[in-house]
Amino acid sequence: MNCLLGPVAALLSLSLLCPATPAAAATPGTETSRSTFQSTQLQGDTRILHALNRFTFGPRPGDLEAVRSMGLDAWFESQLHPASLDLSDLNARLAQFPAMQLSTEDLLYRLPSNALLRQMTNRKLDAPQADLPYAIYTNQMERLQARREQQQQQNPSSASAPQEPVPPTTSAGSNGMGVDTATEQAENPTPMAKEPVPASGQDQMPGASPRGAPAPLPADASLLQSLVALSPQQRIAKLANMTQPDFDRFIQALRPQQRKALVADFTPEQKESVAALEGPERTVVEELIAQRLTRDIYSTAQLQEVMTDFWFNHFNVYLRKNEQMPYYLVSYERDTIRPLAMGKFEDLLEATAHSPAMLIYLDNATSIGPDSLAAQRAERAAWRNPGNQRKAPEGLNENYARELMELHTLGVNGGYTQADVTQVARILTGWTVDRPVRGGGFQFNPNRHEPGTKKVMGQKFKDHGELEGRELLHFLATRPATAQFLCHEMAVRFVADDPPQSLVDRMAKAYMASDGDIAQVLRTLFHSPEFWSTSVYRAKVKTPIEYVVSTVRASDAGVDNLRPVANALRQMGMPLYGCIPPTGYSWKSSDWVSTGSLVDRMNFALALAANRLPGIYADWAPQPQDEAPPSVRARSNEPIAREEARLESMLMPGGLSVSTRAALLQKFQQETASPQAISATSADNARAANAIERQDQLLAGLLLGSPDFQRR
Amino acid sequence: MPTSRRFFLRNGALALAGTTAIPSFLVRSVLGQTAVTPKRRLIVIFQRGAADGLNIVVPWREKNYYSMRPSIAIPQNQVLNLDGFFGLHPSLAAFKPLYDQGHLAVVHAVGSPDMTRSHFDAQDYMESGTPGVKSTRDGWLNRALQAEDLRCHCDHSQFRAVALGADVPLTLAGKVPAIALNNINNFTVGARGPAPSPAASAFEAMYAGSGDRIFHAAGEETFDAVQMLRAANPAQYAPAPGVEYPKSEFGNNMRQIAQLLKADLGVEAAFTDVAGWDTHQNQGGVNGQLANRLLDFSVSIAAFWRDMGDDAENITLVTMSEFGRTAHENGTGGTDHGHANVMFVLGGQIKGGKIYGRWPGLENHQLNQGRDLALTTDYRQVLGEILSNNLGATNLGLVFPGAEVTPNRFLRLT
Repeated sequence: MNCLLGPVAALLSLSLLCPATPAAAATPGTETSRSTFQSTQLQGDTRILHALNRFTFGPRPGDLEAVRSMGLDAWFESQLHPASLDLSDLNARLAQFPAMQLSTEDLLYRLPSNALLRQMTNRKLDAPQADLPYAIYTNQMERLQARREQQQQQNPSSASAPQEPVPPTTSAGSNGMGVDTATEQAENPTPMAKEPVPASGQDQMPGASPRGAPAPLPADASLLQSLVALSPQQRIAKLANMTQPDFDRFIQALRPQQRKALVADFTPEQKESVAALEGPERTVVEELIAQRLTRDIYSTAQLQEVMTDFWFNHFNVYLRKNEQMPYYLVSYERDTIRPLAMGKFEDLLEATAHSPAMLIYLDNATSIGPDSLAAQRAERAAWRNPGNQRKAPEGLNENYARELMELHTLGVNGGYTQADVTQVARILTGWTVDRPVRGGGFQFNPNRHEPGTKKVMGQKFKDHGELEGRELLHFLATRPATAQFLCHEMAVRFVADDPPQSLVDRMAKAYMASDGDIAQVLRTLFHSPEFWSTSVYRAKVKTPIEYVVSTVRASDAGVDNLRPVANALRQMGMPLYGCIPPTGYSWKSSDWVSTGSLVDRMNFALALAANRLPGIYADWAPQPQDEAPPSVRARSNEPIAREEARLESMLMPGGLSVSTRAALLQKFQQETASPQAISATSADNARAANAIERQDQLLAGLLLGSPDFQRR
Repeated sequence: MPTSRRFFLRNGALALAGTTAIPSFLVRSVLGQTAVTPKRRLIVIFQRGAADGLNIVVPWREKNYYSMRPSIAIPQNQVLNLDGFFGLHPSLAAFKPLYDQGHLAVVHAVGSPDMTRSHFDAQDYMESGTPGVKSTRDGWLNRALQAEDLRCHCDHSQFRAVALGADVPLTLAGKVPAIALNNINNFTVGARGPAPSPAASAFEAMYAGSGDRIFHAAGEETFDAVQMLRAANPAQYAPAPGVEYPKSEFGNNMRQIAQLLKADLGVEAAFTDVAGWDTHQNQGGVNGQLANRLLDFSVSIAAFWRDMGDDAENITLVTMSEFGRTAHENGTGGTDHGHANVMFVLGGQIKGGKIYGRWPGLENHQLNQGRDLALTTDYRQVLGEILSNNLGATNLGLVFPGAEVTPNRFLRLT
């Protein structure tokens, strides 16, 4: 067995058999560590920390105390009612991303997609005439044109090595090809660029050179100076009037500080316009990612964000399915998932089934009933004109039908057959998207709908047009198999990789009794003894998003720039909106504990703590109100240990395990200069303070990268 | 239990090498005595986006090829002729000598038998090795290593399975641990340097001291790997004289795979992918989009082959893409999602200089669903043969469940 399985995998399976051990080892100083009986219930603050770790993206300093004074049950109920929470701080932060408030049509108008621009180039649509929007459109059109010409002109046979093969960084911003067909039907090519985050102008990840890559050419400092002297209005106008090559050259040569100066007094809309002049689609993607991370980090409605993350993953849609997808995802997350994340599951299912994002992602938008009017017309047309090379309608597409049952409702063992998949696909024919290139919405097209009665899992669905599909969704949402499948998935997210069946059954019962009320299911979970068992305390390994966001929350860092966080997620294999298959990301530890990912996690922690992530700042100096609890003071008679204890109580209120802490302190004392020596001998106070700051940064980085912090 | 490689590494040469500067040749020779240096290495390259096989290895004697592709066909006088019927796209000039020397084999009309035209389904199916089955969570190459383990209880290096990229691809995912590396120079904790940084040694002590079994083990593996990489210092291996890799992402990945192999880290399987094949529009003919991709592709692979020198003897490299593209060009100078495709197999043990597989023809009635190159060879037969030759795999049923990959169906590539 040892040879068959890698050591990690072998140990994973072992620890799943006896999950109590890490929990017990990880809770020093609490009454729970006295016993390892699985039925033992968490008590006191440990209970609060457990809830914070499971229902939020990790505790921030002060959260423990806040929940303690409010009462745990009251806190949980308030989380189930996000409307009652104060979101003013979050909303102020979200105001940086004005485009994220727009409807899909308005978003496409303000920040046009490449597909839309190509249509305009072909003179099918008119570009807006006002100066600024016009410049946003023409800049990007010229880029697309230049890219096309470059691709056509390159002569491959002249050199032994290719001249500048199209770097993947630029292709990530478009879609991997730059010249994909964009048609009014949603049957678009699937762009295959693996990286969803536009990389140009990105900040370096830890481990790479510590600062952003130097600009290739020195910036035009005099132009910058003359621009900054103008009023914001005039400055924008001037930028919009530059030709596209001039603008690109100027803006790309700016260093981060210079760029900051250029837009310092701009409103969020004006900043967005500058970004749009550089690349409208990229702006959408960056804001989409930034708003999600901002919510995850700062929202007081944490459970709503956790559930948004959960359901987005459950109803996964891939950002790069086609060029329109980034635009549809803004509304998909904002209007389809988040408001319904703690409502009735059937409403959520209905909303996703009607969403252009899902209809396009899983190809239902192109599905045509084999006996529908549309199919018959196409057949006649092909017969009359056999030489026509236009693509014939493809007929039935089962992609969504299958995933609807396998991944969204019943689960793979939910009792359906291949014949049922085909029947479901027939029921859903005609569910399509109205003019996707312009950002249209759901449309039921009766001409594509397959006529006749269908039968799914023994249930008859009479020919009813769109209503047929709604009846089907109701049928699927109310199956006991669906209740089991969903509750099991929630239990895996919130409780343990292999949750007790008794718990899943109780949750499923609540689901069936409440018409699939997600809040009621969560409440049942919260009040179940299995959830509070010491055996599941810290039994979950954080996924990359949970890990990265929890480090930022714990360190109470100020975040102006979310790119380093997004990059870290991509590096760790969990890019936001970047999961290609419909399965979504896994919630299980075995999929996230690997050699490469651990290196990335440790480096991220060190970089964050040392303020090496541009635009993210953590302050480790003691605050006046900071006072280590007596238990901590008692064990720390050395300065270094005192400092460690102070940071530990801030970052990890649950505490580090005794053995990890001992190893840390021992190594730390060996490897670094004694802080005592620094403070005693150095006359230069500034230097001493600097040394202490660096020591705090290292300590904080080690705590955030510790094995204990990998769990929640 | 005999002394394991891990025991040796942690207490022997590399434990030492981590703190002092030992000449790399010494480390290499010590390693060579204990770690099982695999005889054969397998390099897998995935062309994501569905490469247009008909314009890569061109059936230039097919009349219908030219009538179906009026603007993108490769003219007969530009094709690099292989056997009087097929020829290489002119951008693949770097492949021609490898073919002529008998190292490079071509398999045509090959691919996954599943009819899906969805990129992600088809990639998943191809990578999992179970076309049509979505629930498979591990990849064919990982199962091949598992099968090897069933046969031989050998110790393996941390670097046994390596992917160049941000994450472990499905092809390599599974029970056998695999490492994903973006950049061999960045695979270190904290600051780079000849010795571990204070942060790295503190982390190592913390993970070693941790009672958390999962992270104790993962930490141990991680720091082993980091130390091995530091000691072996693959970055020191410059390309062989006269070998120049393109400065593209793919070229970089191939260069780094060569460095990992030269550093003798015990790599048995390496994976990388190359994107940008989804040519729906303006794909070009002799020049253009696809031509540029092919140039980068072939020059990088040929550079890798020359770079490996004598070691190329023990290397097999195989390329694949999720499906081919339509035989007809479409209305926008490109091609849409098709079916069968072409694979390249390059290796010291490969009987190259030959086109393998049954050619189904390109007449209209010979096309799959009237639109694509028909499939005559299941790609798993090709991989199965390579695996049985390369890893000595006998249990191909475990690697490709349900596919009946058996020696009597092999193409006799080896």
